[in-house]
Amino acid sequence: MKLLRHILIFLMIAACSGIFLSCQKVIDVDLNSSSPHIVIEGYISDQPGPYWVRISQTVNYNQPNTFPPVSGATVTLSDNIGNSELLTEFIPGFYMSSLMQGVPGRTYTLTVLSNGVTYAASSMMPSPVAIDYLLQNSFSFGMDNSKTVEVHFRDPAGIDNYYRFVEIKNGVQQQFMFLINDQLQDGNEITSTLFADEDTLRTGDSVSVQLRSIDKNVYNYFRSLSQVVSSSSSSTSPANPPSNLSNGALGYFSAYAVRTKFIIIQ
Amino acid sequence: MSKAGLVMIMIMTLASSLSAQTEPVRKKYTISGHVKDSKTGEAMIGATIMLEELPQIGTASNAYGFYSLTVSEGTYTIITRYMGYTPFSQQVVMKQNVKLNIELLEKGVEQKAVVVTGEKKDENIKEIQMGMEKLDVKSIQDIPVLFGEKDVIKTVQLLPGVKSGGDGNTGFYVRGGAADQNLILLDEANVYSASHFLGFFSVFNSDAIKDVTLFKGEMPSEYGGRLSSVLDIKMKDGNAKDFGVNGGIGLIASRLSVEGPIVSDKGSFSISGRRTYLDLFLKLSSDSSVNRVRLYFYDLNAKANYQLGENDRIYLSGYFGKDVLGFGNTFGIDWGNTTATFRWNHLFNEKMFSNTSLIYSTYDYTVIANINGNNLNLISKIKDEGVKQDFQYFFDSENGVKFGLNSIYHAIVPGTATFADSAQTSTLELTNKYSWENAFYISHDYKLSPIISVQYGVRFSFFSVLGPGVFYTYDSKGDRVDSLAYGSGKFIKTYFNLEPRIALNYILDDESSLKASYGRTTQNLHLLSTSTTSNPTDMWIPNSNNVQPEIADQVSLGYFRNFEDNSYEFSAETYYKLLRNQIDYKDGAQIGVNENVESQLLFGSGRAYGLELFLKKKYGRLNGWIGYTLSRTELKFAEINNGNYYPAHQDRTHDISVVGIYQLSDKWTFSATWVYYTGNAVTFPSGKYRILEYNEVNYFTERNGYRMPAYHRLDLGATWQGERSSWTFSLYNAYGRENAYSIRFQKDPNDPAKTQAVQTALFKFVPSITYNFRF
Repeated sequence: MKLLRHILIFLMIAACSGIFLSCQKVIDVDLNSSSPHIVIEGYISDQPGPYWVRISQTVNYNQPNTFPPVSGATVTLSDNIGNSELLTEFIPGFYMSSLMQGVPGRTYTLTVLSNGVTYAASSMMPSPVAIDYLLQNSFSFGMDNSKTVEVHFRDPAGIDNYYRFVEIKNGVQQQFMFLINDQLQDGNEITSTLFADEDTLRTGDSVSVQLRSIDKNVYNYFRSLSQVVSSSSSSTSPANPPSNLSNGALGYFSAYAVRTKFIIIQ
Repeated sequence: MSKAGLVMIMIMTLASSLSAQTEPVRKKYTISGHVKDSKTGEAMIGATIMLEELPQIGTASNAYGFYSLTVSEGTYTIITRYMGYTPFSQQVVMKQNVKLNIELLEKGVEQKAVVVTGEKKDENIKEIQMGMEKLDVKSIQDIPVLFGEKDVIKTVQLLPGVKSGGDGNTGFYVRGGAADQNLILLDEANVYSASHFLGFFSVFNSDAIKDVTLFKGEMPSEYGGRLSSVLDIKMKDGNAKDFGVNGGIGLIASRLSVEGPIVSDKGSFSISGRRTYLDLFLKLSSDSSVNRVRLYFYDLNAKANYQLGENDRIYLSGYFGKDVLGFGNTFGIDWGNTTATFRWNHLFNEKMFSNTSLIYSTYDYTVIANINGNNLNLISKIKDEGVKQDFQYFFDSENGVKFGLNSIYHAIVPGTATFADSAQTSTLELTNKYSWENAFYISHDYKLSPIISVQYGVRFSFFSVLGPGVFYTYDSKGDRVDSLAYGSGKFIKTYFNLEPRIALNYILDDESSLKASYGRTTQNLHLLSTSTTSNPTDMWIPNSNNVQPEIADQVSLGYFRNFEDNSYEFSAETYYKLLRNQIDYKDGAQIGVNENVESQLLFGSGRAYGLELFLKKKYGRLNGWIGYTLSRTELKFAEINNGNYYPAHQDRTHDISVVGIYQLSDKWTFSATWVYYTGNAVTFPSGKYRILEYNEVNYFTERNGYRMPAYHRLDLGATWQGERSSWTFSLYNAYGRENAYSIRFQKDPNDPAKTQAVQTALFKFVPSITYNFRF
């Protein structure tokens, strides 16, 4: 409903702009400094590795967007049938696997030991769901006519499914969070239109779309994450997304199964 | 329960026997009747009736204009007063019961008084009730408002102890309470969403309203169901003597009202409607992103009453309002309230007044979205059906008793979503919630001596969670651990609460008094909202196996003093309030369309305390008031901020309102209001980090650890009053202060390596003009 309110405000401004002005401006806010906090981001998929885990730290809000890596951690990836691997740090803050291969249905655990504290998270890898086909579509909101990609797939009936779409345009992963679940459409043929926030698609763009089947905790994490990215004071309880990591670490660990399709924009 | 109830009855018996002993044995008679406006026949609420010979004895007309006063045999001069009206006086010989209907004549414009009416000049000193404000709707029009739409809620927000929700928000906070802790009644029907246009206007068309009373302290026992205040709004009965039409044309909306007698002096009706017309201008635009917008609201108030006989009168009143917001066929949302009240006033005898009400109220919204052939339709609704029975017994001049009961059946449809595309349709239906809310109350007004009076009572409230439905239990992580299904009509759980209320008035001298009160209130329906502003899709949930009734205990103490022949009123009130079973949200809570919404909630406690200073000038060419509140509201939840007290969103240290109205001539009135308050407590990020798979993310270290910038604003108004018409000019935010509506933390669009804080301000200099007419 945030969208709704923004639309309304926009309309009121548009309608009455001759009479009064609503204004936006950049202001200085005196924000507290915070002590650096650990951020862990890791994944395993059903596609061949290597998989990576990144460990970094928070910085104060008014500092530039450079986030110090955390080196020298002991990072272990294991599954529920006894396989386990110690990851190696290949550049500061990045830890890579070499042997592990994700298998749907297994539960994976990430363990990080850093500065004497252990952080752990588990994630169950769902079965993959295939994309039937991609279609190009256009969508207009007022004057803007933007090109979008439609994803068609069949949701498996009888189980709760959580999906994240990832759009890779000309080799670059797009920064938007598109999540759905099958709460309303269990077992249906699902059509999802991927609206990009920033860059619109142009003729000749090559676009590949990943349909990632994720577990419920990761789904909740991403949903919450997308809400706090540009948080506004009109939310009563903006908060750090509910991480599946223990001991208060920020970030997530996701085991997902993925299927991909490719389209060239006409 | 039984213990406290017993004590109550004992006190009452004792009290009446005491008063009986001290009375001489002369015979007593009762004078009773109705107080009405002589021009329109409207019943007058809260007119004071006194006897010149016995100045310490008096009463006030009730919500239907009825009064009753019992005194010893003799000859008296009865005096009736109401602010803005010429006092009425008549000699009565009391050697039998006397029936006297009183008609008061409104004073001319030049003698008109200020917005907040005191009925008697020293009413604020003598009245037991503290923390109560009455607004006279007729004079609200002088106060400047946004877009020139006069609005009772905007005026209520200018009173001390009442805090405005901010620009574009009709929500208000009373003594630290949240916006959902106000009981908003329109002719006794609960109004669940009091705002139009997502909060820019209230649903109350002031043309249709007669009387507005706000209780912010101890509320009388006949009210219950919300923690912090009662805003009791009564619709106009309509002119019983003449037909009349009045209306107005404003910047945003037009209004039209018709009223008149059904049978002269026997019954009357009143119908008022209003509609905005911004959308009509939008349609003219050639820009398809503008002309496809649907954006309007309308509402309709109607009321009729009829005198059946000497002792009976019936009333039928209703409200219907709708907001529509949409864009082409792509997106739409509409929402609105409907209320209906049927009332029957009956006089058993000259001392016993009864009112029976049948009450219906609903609020619903529908959201539709249609994107590339995918349709989503979401419906949600809350419905009340209730009955209220009130008795008022005017025992003698020292004692009055009120008692009654209230029973409401609540049915809530939290959400039914239908999803359809070319191939299939599926439906998600959240479990509907049913409950039955009952209350019995009794209260006793007792004048112990000419200087001490007391009003005490108790409300017994029962709230039953009913089937059919599925009830879940959750573990600490919010995962469902059990579910139980119940059939229709099954009682799942009943919460009982005893709510004692007491208020004392001790008159120090002719010009000053001390008042004290204690009251407990409970709340069984709770509004869930993750936004600090009111949204049409905010959802009410009842108590359940997981959600317990909210409870508040408030003590307050006040000193009231009048100066210069009562032309200045001063009051200082302090309060301390303890809150239990308060509701807040888990980090990242999802409360929209969620069957397990109760798993997203946290339960904790709170405390609110403060000092309210109020100085009002009631008479003269220049009148108005200054209100100042110093207060604190804090919450404590085990899961938030390490279990420490933290400021509630509506916590504001300082809050000042200044209202001035100057009557230049018979034709011209000028007004100005100025408000200042400390910014709300909000959560800002204290750091940031990067998630490679997504973006830079804000890092929060505590809930409500920051403040919005202080808010202040000056509004100016001028009214020209002609014979049959008037013009109102207003300038909202006269010095163009950019008050922060929201502050957003985002990536700097010019430098992705940086982040920035962006403030949005809504209204800067909003001039408006409204033309009002009547014939």
